[in-house]
Amino acid sequence: MIIDINFIGLIIASIMASAVPLILASCGELITERSGVLNLGVEGMMIIGAISGFALMTVTGSLIIAIFGAMLAGVLISTIFAFLTQTLITNHVATGLALTIFGIGISAMIGKNFVGIPGKEFPVLFENLKDTIPLIGPILFGHSIVFYFAFALPFVTNYFLKKTKLGLIVRAVGDSPVSASNQGIKVRLVRYLCILYGGAMSGLAGAYLSMIYTPQWIENMTGGRGWIALALVVFSTWNPIKILIGAMIFGGLTIIQFHMQAIGVRIPVQFLTALPYIVTIIVLVVISRDSRKIRLSTPSSLGKSFHKDN
Amino acid sequence: MNTNLKISNVTKIYPGCVANDNVSLEFNSGKIYALLGENGAGKSTLVKILSGVIIPDEGEIYLNKNNLKLNSPLDAKKNDIGMVFQHFNLFETLSVFENLIIDSDEQRESLREKIDSIMKKYNFSIDLDIPVLNLSAGQKQKVEIIRCLIRNPKVLIMDEPTSVLTEQETSELFLSLKKFSEEGILIIYITHKLKEVMQLCDEVAVMRRGKLVSVSEIKNENIESLANKMVGQNLKTIKKKKAKTSSDQLIKITNLNFTSEDPFETNLMDINFSVNRGECLGIAGISGNGQSELFQVLSGEIISDKNCIEFNNNYIGDLNPQERREYLMAFSPEDRLEQAAIPQMKIFENVALNNFKSSNFFNNGLINENKIKEHSKKIISDFNVNTDNIELKSQFLSGGNLQKLIIGRELITSPDLLICFNPTWGLDVGAINYIHETLIKINEQNKSIILISTDTDELLKLSDKISVIHKGKLSKIMNAEEVTSEKLGILMGGAN
Repeated sequence: MIIDINFIGLIIASIMASAVPLILASCGELITERSGVLNLGVEGMMIIGAISGFALMTVTGSLIIAIFGAMLAGVLISTIFAFLTQTLITNHVATGLALTIFGIGISAMIGKNFVGIPGKEFPVLFENLKDTIPLIGPILFGHSIVFYFAFALPFVTNYFLKKTKLGLIVRAVGDSPVSASNQGIKVRLVRYLCILYGGAMSGLAGAYLSMIYTPQWIENMTGGRGWIALALVVFSTWNPIKILIGAMIFGGLTIIQFHMQAIGVRIPVQFLTALPYIVTIIVLVVISRDSRKIRLSTPSSLGKSFHKDN
Repeated sequence: MNTNLKISNVTKIYPGCVANDNVSLEFNSGKIYALLGENGAGKSTLVKILSGVIIPDEGEIYLNKNNLKLNSPLDAKKNDIGMVFQHFNLFETLSVFENLIIDSDEQRESLREKIDSIMKKYNFSIDLDIPVLNLSAGQKQKVEIIRCLIRNPKVLIMDEPTSVLTEQETSELFLSLKKFSEEGILIIYITHKLKEVMQLCDEVAVMRRGKLVSVSEIKNENIESLANKMVGQNLKTIKKKKAKTSSDQLIKITNLNFTSEDPFETNLMDINFSVNRGECLGIAGISGNGQSELFQVLSGEIISDKNCIEFNNNYIGDLNPQERREYLMAFSPEDRLEQAAIPQMKIFENVALNNFKSSNFFNNGLINENKIKEHSKKIISDFNVNTDNIELKSQFLSGGNLQKLIIGRELITSPDLLICFNPTWGLDVGAINYIHETLIKINEQNKSIILISTDTDELLKLSDKISVIHKGKLSKIMNAEEVTSEKLGILMGGAN
């Protein structure tokens, strides 16, 4: 049997495409968590982004408005979370869970009118280069701008955290908000911004799903990807590059198990569908088991409320 | 250029407590000032006001006649006031250099040069690229000091700086502070340790219950006069009588090892010692050298080999704390609010936690509240805990009262051995005196104590024998009379 080499390229490209929403949401949440805030509302923010993007695209017809509108929707819903946890000092876990439930509910309500409407085609870049190089061509070219953005994001995030002053401040706030505050850093402001950034990235991840990956609106279409994004952040030990690896493994296994089902491999379907979840976590745990590095990259104040005591 | 710092009529009121009551003070550069007072006297509040962390309700602060409005730590920094906090304000997971650059506007390279020149000038040697959590307490403090020096401060405030240092590190610190002072930095030194005031400072201001009680020159004072001003009454000095030498062995530790899986804990290596009845064994050391691991092994929080610990002719190394208590051991852990008591629970509930089979606190799984309350009242009156409300949540007790309650809870069953870890840490002089008297009384009743402490003076006062723990190893056991604090300091630093 001869397998077309470009077919392998297409499979790899589809794996990468399925990793995009995970990378976006995880890198956003990573910044939030690095500042010490645990936002379990990723799933909710993603689904809000998905419906906002799709609805704006249908109503206005503008893809740019839709993409930025979805990010803005993510920012708005995360503002609720930020206000509750930072200003009213509510519990991060409970508030995040509520945010997810709220997001799923309200997206279903808004989405009622958009079910069954076909999406628009999203423009792709470098399409003409796709066939110039075998294998590499389909992997590198012919994707949306969001795709390229997502694969640059882990490296940008890594650079931001390690090399920039602002990244240092985010890490400092996550390490010890009390010390940071005594150093004159505005802890609450930093955390607000990190939460809103996380919201924007989750919103974008949702919009990618409903506008580019499967251009339509289906109720509950994020299907747990927000939770996987959260797991990636923790099991990658807050390392953006490992998030990229984890997202690729998860995407890869999801796509491969589809193909295995199609070929008719005699393994129970339920097991195959469950496989990506468990394997991703195992791999990430194994590659990050240096306890010293874990200690150094774990935000010590994660999930703890901070209020100035004077 | 001379620096003049003036605090004028500063008042800060918290609900139920006046932390600073109309305090006025004036400082001039060229001198080292001590701000002396017990815990809760208001000295920390005052320096937090100077460093912008707390905003006073009333009063003004003037630096060289300019009225300062210190609404945030940033304002203090901008006005050249540097502060080294008692609990370090460092970011443990960031590198030393990242800790230093975070509040500086300088470029990386020029800052590095500046730090290097500061370190050279004052003989500090610290690796700038390792994470802060790998540094010793003394090094962490130097990082804090460098952080202040980068900004060329006019005023440097040190809040209880020696509580985590060895004797050697303390004298190094004093040399640096004297050098800073000669260079024109105004130094305000906050402490409750009288000896340090006499050694280091030129002038001393004493605070008590939020009020300034005296300002005087050191040459007109001595340790007793300062102690009396600080406490507001004449303190009796307590002294331990030389214990009758007993050869009746109570506990014996043989070849005890503990290897931790957590790289941030200390491994214990080949621990051997024994304690006789009526004896107090002191274990000195800089915090973080294996004391908490040793305490946990002794108390049974960490189970060891059965034969490692022989207590009263029983091998108990594999028993948990509850089972060890039944053999008449008692424990007072280091962290009162985290380990010894549950802050959200009421006093009598905390008493019930230390439950013996014999105490009948529980009948068929139900709480025998009357019995527990009766028992709690006895502890409160016997051990001088300053409250009569046993329904009070433990978190509202002051440190001293909580420690008395814990020691009382442990002692009321008259155990043969009390193991305590920093029993007077952070307490005021009155409470420390009371705890020390109690510990001496235990020895007089022919009961034994293992006292793990980072306070050398306390160890010299109470112990019959002393050993030093360094990096998880015990030094040889010495008779307390043969030991001086200098000798302990050398051993604590790891030398022989």
